[in-house]
Formats: sequence, structure tokens, C-alpha cells
Amino acid sequence: MFQVRKRVQADACQCDSFRELRWRLTLIFLMFSRFFHRVGILVLPFLGLLMTACSRADLEVRQSTLDPKGPVAQVQYDVFMDTVYLVIVLFVLVGGLLVYAVARFRSRAGEVVKPKLEEGHGNPLVEIGLITASIGALVFIAIPTLSAIWYTDDVPKEAVATSKLSAWYPRVDANGKENYAKEVEDQVLEIDVIGKQWWFRFEYPQLGLTSDAKRTVPNEFYIPRGKAVRINLRSEDVIHSFWVPKIAGKVDLIPGRKNYMWIQADELGHYYGQCAEFCGDSHAYMLFRCEVVEPEVFAQWVKSQKTDAAPVVAGSKAEKGKALFAAKTCAMCHNISGHFGAGNFGPDLTHLASRKSLAGAWLDNRDPKAQLALELKEKNTEASMPVDPAQLKANLIKWIGSSGVAHGADGKPTPDVKPGNRMHYYKMFNVVGLRESHQKFTDEELDALAEYLLTLK
Amino acid sequence: MSHDTHHAPVASKLDLAPERSDLGLLRPDRSTGLMDWLTTVDHKKIGILYGAFAMFFFLLGGVEALAIRTQLARPDNDFVTARMYNQLFTMHGTTMIFLGVMPLSAAFFNFLIPLQIGARDVAFPRLNAFSLWTFVAGSFVLNASWLFEFGHLAGWFKDFAWYKSLVYTDFAPANGWFSYAPLSGTFGQADAALHAPRFTGVGTDFWIIGLQILGVASLAASFNFICTIVNMRAKGMTMMRLPVFTWMTLITAILIILAFPAITVALIQLMFDRQFGANFFNPSAGGQPILWQHLFWIFGHPEVYILVLPAMGIVSEILPTFSGKSLFGYPIIVFSGAVIGFLGFAVWSHHMFTTGLGAVPTAAFALLTMAIAVPTGVKIFNWLGTIWGGRIRFTPPMVLALGFIWMFMCGGFSGVMHSSAPADSQQQDSYFVIAHFHYVLLGGVLLGLMAGLYFWFPKIFGRMPKASVAYVASGMVILGFNLAFGPMHYLGLAGMPRRTHTYHAGMGWDTWNFVATIGAFILGIGVFLAFANLVWTAFKGEKCSSDPWDGRTLEWSLPSPVPEYNFARSPIISARDAYIEHKHGGHKIGYESDGGEAGVHMPSQSWMPMLASFGFLLIGMGMPMLAMMIPHAGWIVIAGIGILFLGIWLWALEGPGGYMLKTPSGSTSPSPVSATSSTH
Repeated sequence: MFQVRKRVQADACQCDSFRELRWRLTLIFLMFSRFFHRVGILVLPFLGLLMTACSRADLEVRQSTLDPKGPVAQVQYDVFMDTVYLVIVLFVLVGGLLVYAVARFRSRAGEVVKPKLEEGHGNPLVEIGLITASIGALVFIAIPTLSAIWYTDDVPKEAVATSKLSAWYPRVDANGKENYAKEVEDQVLEIDVIGKQWWFRFEYPQLGLTSDAKRTVPNEFYIPRGKAVRINLRSEDVIHSFWVPKIAGKVDLIPGRKNYMWIQADELGHYYGQCAEFCGDSHAYMLFRCEVVEPEVFAQWVKSQKTDAAPVVAGSKAEKGKALFAAKTCAMCHNISGHFGAGNFGPDLTHLASRKSLAGAWLDNRDPKAQLALELKEKNTEASMPVDPAQLKANLIKWIGSSGVAHGADGKPTPDVKPGNRMHYYKMFNVVGLRESHQKFTDEELDALAEYLLTLK
Repeated sequence: MSHDTHHAPVASKLDLAPERSDLGLLRPDRSTGLMDWLTTVDHKKIGILYGAFAMFFFLLGGVEALAIRTQLARPDNDFVTARMYNQLFTMHGTTMIFLGVMPLSAAFFNFLIPLQIGARDVAFPRLNAFSLWTFVAGSFVLNASWLFEFGHLAGWFKDFAWYKSLVYTDFAPANGWFSYAPLSGTFGQADAALHAPRFTGVGTDFWIIGLQILGVASLAASFNFICTIVNMRAKGMTMMRLPVFTWMTLITAILIILAFPAITVALIQLMFDRQFGANFFNPSAGGQPILWQHLFWIFGHPEVYILVLPAMGIVSEILPTFSGKSLFGYPIIVFSGAVIGFLGFAVWSHHMFTTGLGAVPTAAFALLTMAIAVPTGVKIFNWLGTIWGGRIRFTPPMVLALGFIWMFMCGGFSGVMHSSAPADSQQQDSYFVIAHFHYVLLGGVLLGLMAGLYFWFPKIFGRMPKASVAYVASGMVILGFNLAFGPMHYLGLAGMPRRTHTYHAGMGWDTWNFVATIGAFILGIGVFLAFANLVWTAFKGEKCSSDPWDGRTLEWSLPSPVPEYNFARSPIISARDAYIEHKHGGHKIGYESDGGEAGVHMPSQSWMPMLASFGFLLIGMGMPMLAMMIPHAGWIVIAGIGILFLGIWLWALEGPGGYMLKTPSGSTSPSPVSATSSTH
């Protein structure tokens, strides 16, 4: 570095202005990089974090882990903040020492450095002191870590009293029908989450929403506010992971393994989740939603999930759509209770039009501008617009007609919405996807089909 | 057995008469030019070859990374397809780890270890060449998958019967660098031909066999270095007088031979699942997918210490040199390196905190992971103690070494955050993990390796890289790296999962993804500039003295570039940091009375290691082709096995050979060092 400085000073006397400019620019650039060596590298990693921390909104984004809405996420957040405090202290101490040492002990210009040879044995007291301090610092985070591991492992005993089904969910409804069997009334609500490439299926075995009963819940599931819920995690193919950051940290769905976790959401709203273990072509597109509602609303929702689809109006476009649903082989994979009962390979569509998202929660059925405005106005991302039928219809047409089974306005085959997805691409055993079986849809067919699906509230 | 050393000592190998090995074949001892490089067993040339290949693959992995970052710069982007993206991140990780960092570390091991311990070569020179060429074979097999993928995308194969019968057309690996089962494995029941349905295509098979071949190369090299360090030290070079870099190399080599068997077994099991109807990881037939994770991570966690310990060793050499002080607490630094290596085998399930291990195993691994922060912290404290009270010279290697301490410390902090399992359950599989490991690998290991390149380049080529370019490149690397990976801490905490091809605009991730992409490009340009500068320097750089930095260890006592025979006369050591003691202190280096007109024994060059490696290349190409059912692929595999065994057999039978080379017998002490250091 000193060598370079000397050269610049010598050349600055040159009359050639271009050369002078070049040297000045080089000097500025070198000083710039030198600045970054000494100071910039100290600041940069945390500049970004600091800048975002200044903006509360950035901490409350849809899948933020820094905006816990329930006890599990809260405890995980608290333990995380303990590590943050520890790290800040270490950063200031050790980083500060490094900066100080680099500044204080730098060799001066022109100095001849004669190496010191005496030491090399270190200082045992310093070493033992630092090791002890390190262990102490780690104990500071080890204790809350252990406590949180046990707390988040399974539903705490204290929670069972208020969260067991009999405490908030009438066992027999107004008409005398059983909501759940007597044997399970002291259990907390249990949801089976089944992951498949590339969507989540939710079942409520205690409440009769099961595969056997042909009443399953795809991609958007409901839980009652303020009640502990036990989740059983199963996979039908590869490893997936269940992650709703504002409610809880993730646990993996491993085929052949009976993983479980518990969650509890203490604020109403529409929460965003995503698969968090790489599971193939459309891993990025495997999202899901969690709707947190009051217990009474939850009971109503369960009831609605047990109703069949309403009959279509004769002579309407929806009737044409229903016929197409069978003709285009949709019924082979999709169950619509009351209309089509053969398939359970794909998501159950009986209540499709009541869901706020489509295609593994990748497409949103709400008016995007209105939704964004609402989130800004309410200053939280759990606020939700209702389903917008126009948006839902557009999504249906886009999704079903994707992957080249339809053509866009420009005549080109439609692109993928979810790459490699099973509805279009599957080709194994006796199940063949729309694209693989060379199905083709005209605009009118897509329109009629969408009209039919819109009736499935 | 007749030895070919019966002829008189020669002044140069070109003066040798043509010789035949015990097999009657001509030895390539007198080769020059390309033939010399292909048949060399000289550890210095092998080191340079490792370094050249590593720098090429670093740039290739960097291009893959820039494609990833371009895709993620904006939401809902379609710069690459999802399939291509998944292949890109898989190949980026695999390339950087196995074809970038490990061979660059191997380059340093090869070049320096014999010089630092006062030996003339490694214990097994031909095995050393075999390691190199097997690494080249493995790297070719792995990247051949890209060739197949591009051929597929370009439609070259569409008329072939084997292509038309493929169920999955993903030719490059696309399961991530740790390729979890059962995504990489099988499901359901195997048919009569022992094939169970799979989720992925032949890309996984390329990955499996490529990694196996690379594993062979690493294992062979490790055996070589352990034997060299234990057995071939100069007189007086006790273990506790070894340079720290040599110690870290020894520990790394031991880690390799203990850790690689786990992944070897895992890869064999996966291959058997896919090709021969086994069910190790197939849950519908009683297998356990989590077994893959345990086996992989028992390898995978020591692997990251294999990656970082050499860089720590390099930094431990550079800091004392440019502080003008001895390393603070040498025994503790060595011991903490050993403790890190040992504890590295006790923490593997911290990669599995979200797999539902149960509260007790989770707690155990969390505590052990916290424990491993202690020896790492000790190293950082001792490095601080080294520069404390010194006179720091900010040469390019020193700036990079200081950057290493800073960045590795930051990466260690995010590692401590991960060690707390409940916090980790939010961070796992998100961009927070990506930020963590890039801080330790890029900010740590890469900066350390770059520091080593700038530090030892003058010794390797006798030419000094231009400091101004080095500062600019280092500045760009450090700036770009922080701009790229700093924001990823936030993105992970904001809920962005890793390995995702794209994301929607409403998630709040747009801005920082864009910033990260800018940083990545600055980083890429900086790395390219650094490597280009080094390559240019090797050919056209300004010549410099043999000891431009006032070095402390034995290699600086030799001329630059180092002559074939390393030491004209074998040194006799009486202190740690032998050369600086010789120059400025009381302990002079003695010299034995070997060499001179009587000559020193030099190993013969050979074709056989490369022949054996070529066998591996054919096996590696043939097996995936067999999986694709390309006609006659089986013959390629059989030919490969044959050539591998032929190469080894000829290698054994050709005899050790060797010749005597005269060394200068004039002045016995190394070239005198002037009081004022020339550069800086």
C-alpha cells in the first residue's frame, strides 16, 4: 500500500492530464476499497439488518418469523432473541477488539518490521478465562433452549384443560347430530397433515373429515383461535415440511415416520405457510393457508365441510361445465361430494369456491389490489378480503388451461402455472395427467368448467 | 527386483538415458511440456494442477450461482425453468464444495506440506498423481450430466429409442447437494427387472457415481498426507514444531478418512435402491428415509470442518508473518483444531432438528453444537492475541486474512443461533441457513484460500501479483459478498424458504433479493478479477525474491520457483518457525550432508496412475448411461473396471524406479535476506 501511495505522489507532478486523472481515479478507487477493508466490512453485514429493523412493516411480512401470533412461535422467537443479544455482545466485544488491534498495531510508513521471537506460548490464564467466559455465554442460551425444546415438543398439560374439545366445541349440535365421538371429548383437536407432491391435504379424524368419509380439506385449513391443536405429519411420497412461520417453526413430513407437533394461534386471521423441504420440481409452488377463526365459526365451518355440493341449475353454463368435468377425466382424480365420487388422488373440490387460494395456494382468489390495500390499512398481513369470484374464475381458467392444454390469445400454448404438476404431467400406473393424455380445452370449455366450479361453495 | 537407480547422478532429468520399467515399458522420466505435466509425480506440479482445476470449477460454480441470483432478482421471474433452477442450485453446491474448495485446499496441501516439513516429496508420489487424475475423472463425470441436459434441451436425442423410453428427463442432478431420500430414491415395489419407480431421472445417478469417484480421490490423498506428515519430517522437526498449516492438514486428512466411509455407504445404498431393487430408503417396503440423513450428515458435518480447517491453517501462517510476532498460543491452536475435528463427529443431527428426532436427542445435539463454538472461539481469540502488540503490514494476504476473521466470526454467530433448536425450527431450510453457511464458506474459507494464494504465489511461481489489482479484487469480493449474503439473514427471518425457484410479489422479499443479486455480481467480478490476475502473474508477473514477506516457515528458505528436489540438502531443525529463527533468532537451520554430487533420490514419472483414473472415468460415464439404457453402456463399465485394474496392476509391477539428481552443493544456507523487505 505504501508503495502505491509513493507512486501516486510522484506521478501527480506529471503534466499529462490524462495520466494524472487516471492516477487520481485509481487512488480514489483504492482508497474506497481500502476504506471497505478497514471499516466497510465491519459495517456492511449489519447495515442491511439495521435498515430493515427500522421499518416495522418489514418485520410483519406474510411469513415473518419475527411476528409471532401464538405461544409456540413466541417461545421460539424469545429463544432466538436471546441468541441475538448474546451475539450482539460478542460482536461488540470481539469485533471491537479486532478493529482496535488493527488500528493500534498497524505498522507505520517506512517502518522496518523486526519480528519478535520471544513469545509463542500464549497466556494460559487468558486462555482459561476466555474458555470459561465462552462456556458461560453458551449456558446463557442453553437454558432457555432446553426449556423451549420441551415446551414446543407436545401440547403442554396446562393447555389441555382449555383446549380439549369438550371445553369449546359442543359435542352434540342443535339438531342432535354428534360432532365428535364421546371417546375423544377430552382430547385436543387433532389435524392430520398429509403432504404430497405438491399440495397439502388436511384431515380432521375426530370430526369425520377423513379420506374414508371422502371429506378432506385441501390446502387451506381452519383452526379455532386460542386453542392448542395437535398436528400429525404424514407424507405420501417424499419429505415435505410444514411451516406457518407466524404460528410455529417447522417440522418435516417424512414418509414412514409419525412426526407430530402442536400449534396455537391467538389472533384471528388468514396465515401463510409454505413447504420448507425440497420436494421436487414444484417445491417453490407448494404453499398453503391457515384460517384462524372463533370456535363458533370453526364449528360452522366443519358443518359446511360435511355438506354435499348443491345441484347445478338445469340449462346453465354450469351444467355444461359439470358434463365437461366428467368428459375431460377430471372426475377420475377429484372428489365432489354429491356430484362425483370416484377420485381422491387430487384435492377434494366440493368447497373449491369458498377457498381464498388455488393450485397449492399458489394462485390467490382475492382481488390483489384490494388485498394489498387492506393489509396496508390494517397494518397486518392476517387481514383478508373475501373470495373475489372474478379473480377465482380467472385463476381457474389459467390453472386448468395451463401447461399447453389450452392456447392463449396469441395462439401460443399456455405456460406452466406449477411446473411438473400432477394434474397436467403425471404419467404413472393408470393415472395420466391432462397434458400427458393430450387433453385439449377451448376457451368456451374452460369458461363452462370454471362456471361449474364457481358453484362449489 | 532391479532398481533403475544404478546409473550415475545427473544434473538434470533430461540427461537421463531412456529407461525401461520392470515391465519393459519406457518410463516418461525425461518428458517435457505437456507430457511432463501429464505424467508428473512432483507434488509441486500436482499442486498447481489441482489449483488450476479448482479455479476453473470455482468460476463454473460461480456462473451457476449468478444464474440462480438472476432468476431470484425479481418475483415471478422466468429467467430459467424450475427444473433448470433445481439443477443449478444442486450443481452449484456440489461444484463449489467438491470441485472448488476441496481441490483448492488440496493444491495447498500438495505444494506446501513436503516443503514445510523438510521433505523432498510426499510418501507415495504415484498415489498423489492418482488422486489428482481421479479427481479430474470425478469432476468430468459430474459435469457430463450438464452435457446430457443441454443435449436433451437442444433435442439431440429425440430420435433415440433409449431417450424415448425415459420416464424422467432430468439429466443433471436436481435434488440439492445433499440429495435427500426418498426424492433421490425409490418408492413402491420393484418390478421383475428390480426397478422400483423413482422420483428423479439419471441426474441422481450421475451425482452418485461422481461423488463416489471424488471420494476415492480424497481418501487416497488423505492416506498419502498422513503418512507423509507422520513419517517424512526432517530431522528435528518434531510434531510440536510443525507449522500450523501442516497440523491442520493432518487433522483434515484424518477427518476425511473417518467421514468419507459414511457417505460411501450411503451412496452405495442409494445406488442399490435405484438400480438393484434394494429398499434402504423406501418406506413402502420397510426402509427409512431418515437413514439417508443420518449417514449423509455423519459425513456432511465433518465435511464442513474438512473445508474450513485448511483455511484456518493458512490464516494461522499469515497472521504471524505480517504481525511480526509468533502465533499466540500455538499448542492451544493445534489442540483446538483437533477438538473441532473430534467434536465435528458429535453434532451431525443439528442438520436434522426439524425431522422429529424427539426432545432428548434434539437437546443433546443442541448442547454439543453449542460446545463446538468454544474451540472455534479459542482460535479467534488466539488470532487476536497474535496481532495484538505486533506491527501489522497490510499486504493483500493480510487484508484477506483479517477479512477471514471478521466474516468467519459473523458466520459463527449465525451458527450459534442455529444451535438453539427451537430458534432453528424457524431458520432451518430458509435463507438464514444460506446466509450462515455462505458467511463461513465464502467469507471464511474462500477469503482464507485467496489469502493463501496471494501469500504463496511468489513462492510457487517466483512472481509477485500486483498489489493494486489484489486490493481492488479483494475489496470487490468483500463488498459484493456482504451485499449478497447480509440481506439473506433478513430474508430467512422473513420466511423465505431455500431452494425455491421463484416467489410472489406480495411476500415482502423483492427489495433484498434484488440487492443480493447486485452483490452477487460484484462478488463474481471480484473473484474473476482475482483469479485472472493470478493466472496472468504466473506467466507475466513481476519477478520477486525468494522471501518477499520475511517468512517464518521452511518453504521461504527455498528459491522461487522451488527446484524439483526441494532442498539441496535436507534441513536439520531446532525450533518452531524454523526459518525466522534462522534469520533473526538464535536457532540456525542445520543441513545434512546429502545431495551435492552424490545426488538425491527422485521418484520416476509414470502413466499408470492416470491410466487407473481413466478406468474410473469410464465407470463413471458408463453407469449412468447404463441407467438410461443406452445400448452397449454395460461394455463401457466393464471396460472401465478392466482399465482400472490394469492400471493398478501395471502400477504395481512397473517397480518403484527412481533416479539420482545432483543438487547444488555450494552455499549450504538459503539465500540471505536483506533487512528491508522488498515488497510493501
